[in-house]
Amino acid sequence: MARREAARAEARFMRGETGVDGQSTAEETKDAAEVEKDQAREQLLRGRTWLGRELLTWVLWQSEPGNPLELDGEPVTVLFTGRTVLRGLHGEVVELSAKGALAPYSVQVKRALEDGLLVHACRLRFTVGDRSWEAGLDAEHLDVKSAKLPELLTEEEDDRLTERLDLAEQLSGFVDALVGRFLALRASKAWGREAVPAMRRWMEGREAG
Amino acid sequence: MPILRGSVTFARFKVISPARAPREKHGWFQKALETHAFAPIERKGDEDRAEGFVEVEDNDATDFSAAAIFHGPRVLFGFRVDQIKVSTGRAREELQKWVASFERENGRKPGRAERAEQKGAIRHQLRARATPTTRVHDVAWNLETGHLQVWSGSRKAIGEVLAALEDAFELKLVPLIPGALAAQQGVKDEALSPTRELSGLLEVPHGEA
Repeated sequence: MARREAARAEARFMRGETGVDGQSTAEETKDAAEVEKDQAREQLLRGRTWLGRELLTWVLWQSEPGNPLELDGEPVTVLFTGRTVLRGLHGEVVELSAKGALAPYSVQVKRALEDGLLVHACRLRFTVGDRSWEAGLDAEHLDVKSAKLPELLTEEEDDRLTERLDLAEQLSGFVDALVGRFLALRASKAWGREAVPAMRRWMEGREAG
Repeated sequence: MPILRGSVTFARFKVISPARAPREKHGWFQKALETHAFAPIERKGDEDRAEGFVEVEDNDATDFSAAAIFHGPRVLFGFRVDQIKVSTGRAREELQKWVASFERENGRKPGRAERAEQKGAIRHQLRARATPTTRVHDVAWNLETGHLQVWSGSRKAIGEVLAALEDAFELKLVPLIPGALAAQQGVKDEALSPTRELSGLLEVPHGEA
């Protein structure tokens, strides 16, 4: 048995598959950076996540002036608040996390966007009149995470449940309305001709959002 | 019971089929929920996991009366997952104690079969003493809008709930994300390729865009 194994080892050595130490001579074909890039690419393509990232990046651009957006016929002020995560494919940085109250609209974030990163996760505040909703969103699933709803006005237990669900649906409706507006633009010629060049100028600091 | 109180975190879907679930057909909902109703783990059995639908306000109840599931325009219920986990470390410790005692009594090490038999007995004992962990993921299905929310932050759990819903109700659901909504609206794939000027992605594998 031992002789047969020794013969096999000798044959592997003779074929150049192993060195004198018996270890494989094949080089690691992919280094860590390549593996990381492959993963980043896979994440971007899975479920067309690039559309979610473009959507959130577009919302960042749209929201910077602080003017209300017309969502389902209602003026809604949308603002990025708190941590914003950017992800990309090119360069040495595949993910960047920006923390700070004004971080989403900072020069650093715009510079990263200019370099090809896009918004992957963020926290948005929607304000209608004196009522505000906040929610974390990610580009892949657009799940609502750790949302804050406006204070409940009803007191009866059953009514409070209905009100809580109504408010959660309103929040979901704001996200849907943003998606609807984005898709209408994204599928039109205005996306490539007007919106993207304007976003690029905004990223480069040559134009306000 | 996140739907009643606590963190507001949910995944968002549109019910494509049936396009309009009949609210007046309480029996239809009740039957579907009962086919996948939760049944507790049998202490004497071999299963370590049990899952199924429960009422939202009483996670031990599976009657699904109209009063329990209909709340205004919505149907509410929970998906409960109970799991018993036997600590591997604890089982190993108990087995080592038994091996030491066996050697003292018999003057020899236990055989492979004896060890395996004792290992099974220890696992059984620990399982009988273990308390199952319980998680409930709530579902809110608005019959007027056809929107369905799974109140959970775990994608794995959301996947399980969706599979149970599709099985029990024969539902077809689409996530409320740009890619899926664009496909629903019939937007052509070519119009939705990644924007090169933003993400720098040049090629998308066939069928992804």
